[in-house]
Amino acid sequence: MDANRFDLGGGEPIIILDDVAKSYWRETLEIPVLQGIDLEIPRGSYIALMGPSGSGKTTLLNLIAGIDRPTGGSLEVCGHHLNGLDDDELAAWRNLHVGFIFQNYNLVPVLNAFENVELPLLLTGAGRGERRDRVEEALALVNLTDRMFNYPRQLSGGQEQRVAIARAIVTNPDLLVADEPTGALDAKNAEEVLGLMERLNAELGKTIVMVTHDPKAAHHARHQIHLEKGVLDRTVEVNR
Amino acid sequence: MILGLLIVLPVVAYLAWLVWALVAYPIPLGYNLRSLWQRKVSSLSTAAAIALVVGIFVVVLSLAQGLSIAFVSSGRADQALVLRPNARFELNSSIERDRMRILKVHPLIKRDAEGFMASAEVVVVKLFPMADGTDTNVTVRGLERRGIGLRPQVRLVQGRWFRPGLSEVVVPRKMQGRFPGMDLGRHLRMGGRDWLIVGTFDAGGASYESEVWSDVNDIMQAFRRESYSALLVRLESPERLEGFAKAVEEDKRLKLEVVQETAYFKELTKAGDPIKVLGNLITLILTGAAIFAAMNTMYAAVAGRTKEIGTLRALGFRQREILASFQWESIFLCLTGGLLGSGLALFANGIQTGTTSFDTFADVSFAFTITPGLMAQGVAFSLVMGLLGGFLPAWRASRIPLTEAMKGG
Ligand SMILES: Nc1ncnc2c1ncn2[C@@H]1O[C@H](COP(=O)(O)OP(=O)(O)O)[C@@H](O)[C@H]1O
Ligand SMILES: [Mg+2]
Repeated sequence: MDANRFDLGGGEPIIILDDVAKSYWRETLEIPVLQGIDLEIPRGSYIALMGPSGSGKTTLLNLIAGIDRPTGGSLEVCGHHLNGLDDDELAAWRNLHVGFIFQNYNLVPVLNAFENVELPLLLTGAGRGERRDRVEEALALVNLTDRMFNYPRQLSGGQEQRVAIARAIVTNPDLLVADEPTGALDAKNAEEVLGLMERLNAELGKTIVMVTHDPKAAHHARHQIHLEKGVLDRTVEVNR
Repeated sequence: MILGLLIVLPVVAYLAWLVWALVAYPIPLGYNLRSLWQRKVSSLSTAAAIALVVGIFVVVLSLAQGLSIAFVSSGRADQALVLRPNARFELNSSIERDRMRILKVHPLIKRDAEGFMASAEVVVVKLFPMADGTDTNVTVRGLERRGIGLRPQVRLVQGRWFRPGLSEVVVPRKMQGRFPGMDLGRHLRMGGRDWLIVGTFDAGGASYESEVWSDVNDIMQAFRRESYSALLVRLESPERLEGFAKAVEEDKRLKLEVVQETAYFKELTKAGDPIKVLGNLITLILTGAAIFAAMNTMYAAVAGRTKEIGTLRALGFRQREILASFQWESIFLCLTGGLLGSGLALFANGIQTGTTSFDTFADVSFAFTITPGLMAQGVAFSLVMGLLGGFLPAWRASRIPLTEAMKGG
């Protein structure tokens, strides 16, 4: 294992965090969760963000994915300064640039696999035919073509997570964020999902930021970075 | 006026936006319908509660409508009732025979080939047994043959009109269902005599449909009345009314009060007001409860889907899209109830009912009819409930933080 001073390899950065901070207030008491986060992630990276529970991993991922706003510093992700976007612009930006993979899959229970994957496309103005083609393509990629019209309750956890991955890539975003994507899966299904994510990175060139506290999962990423009490560890582990 | 506009304008704008959202926003309605179905038990019980309220609302509406037809359609502007001063109603009034003799040939009363267009009448109240075994007060009206013609809405349906001196009566067709033994050819027992039913009539929903009619002298004899109740007269025109009223009131031999027939019935309609007020009150309370039920159901639905909503927002759906979606979900929930309730009310269609007219203590019968218009009002009412009950939960849904999507559990 090779320890470098914060070198995630060369290339054009897709995520640039400059002195990012996030605090919560309990009445007048400021509770800092993230402090002085400087981070540049090159396009095409596959980063595992590690750290103990409560260290701020999810908070940091939320900031990168534009579903939360920092209390200090600035973020530039996928070519946009997120601080400058209003809520609607940020929503459109997420739809276009970010794919979400959640620990609990977060599929809509009343929609079948096809409809779940189609959801983000409804916002793009793509026609019915184009939507169908893209949903089928995404479901084929995760190897669930035969489960297209199944509802989430009819799928196993691993299958649900693969549907969620199909939903995350259906709009062809540059960036995938995943918060403990294998946290709810058994070892076999976890391997399958992690293998799929590796392929998305290697074959489709997706930049992936994955939060995990599982070292086995982290090993699938190309780099591991560590968060400790809201501060980024200056060392980077390179897996491959 | 300005205040009203300030309230109405945003509501109309909001409604217009909702309709537009239905077409333009990407979250399909099917998502909401299926979500409602997902929570069948709570959705259906809420819809049932709303159905009940809408059903009651429609029936109350039709009762109120039936009541005003029963009274208002009874009057003519060129006709008047002469009553004892301050009597207000025929039942409280009395006019002695000598006064009536003078009054009946008053020069201001309209005349035709048959003479003065006036009918001296007596009104008594008699307890009748109803088909369901209970007793109710029924107005018995004694009138002159002339009096029938003064009520153009009254129409003979069966048999013939009564003849004087023979103890004959005619009964409203609508009363036949509610009271036993009112068939043609049978006898009614009242005032110590048997009265032969010789005809049935219809009065187009007017209050006469709850009166038994016979000859004025027969009734006065049988009930031992020394005086008449009132005189119904027709004048040359409505404009002559004031002059006639002045003449009758100032004539020392008469000193009687003249009330325009339309005004008289309007006054009588107020007898239905307590029913309307009660009906409105009940409807109001039930409506509040129904809105609360809808709100509760929607709050529960939103709370149960916090993560789902956060996820939709993360995927790029905007706050207003979530707001519209949940507002429609609530509207559809209530609309289901509204359609059910209107259908329920339809079952009551045409059922005869009676209400005791508070001032005259006599039974007024009328049919309540559920018209398509009333049903549409019921459905619109449920829409309003969906709008009101759903707004706050939908608002809350739209404000759910996106970070909820990431939370475990
Ligand atoms: N909405 C919030 N309000 C207050 N504190 C919060 C909120 N969200 C997260 N925190 C706190 O921030 C810290 C980091 O949380 P999180 O990013 O979820 O940690 P991790 O994902 O590393 O387990 C925790 O101490 C947590 O209690
Ligand atoms: Mg976390």
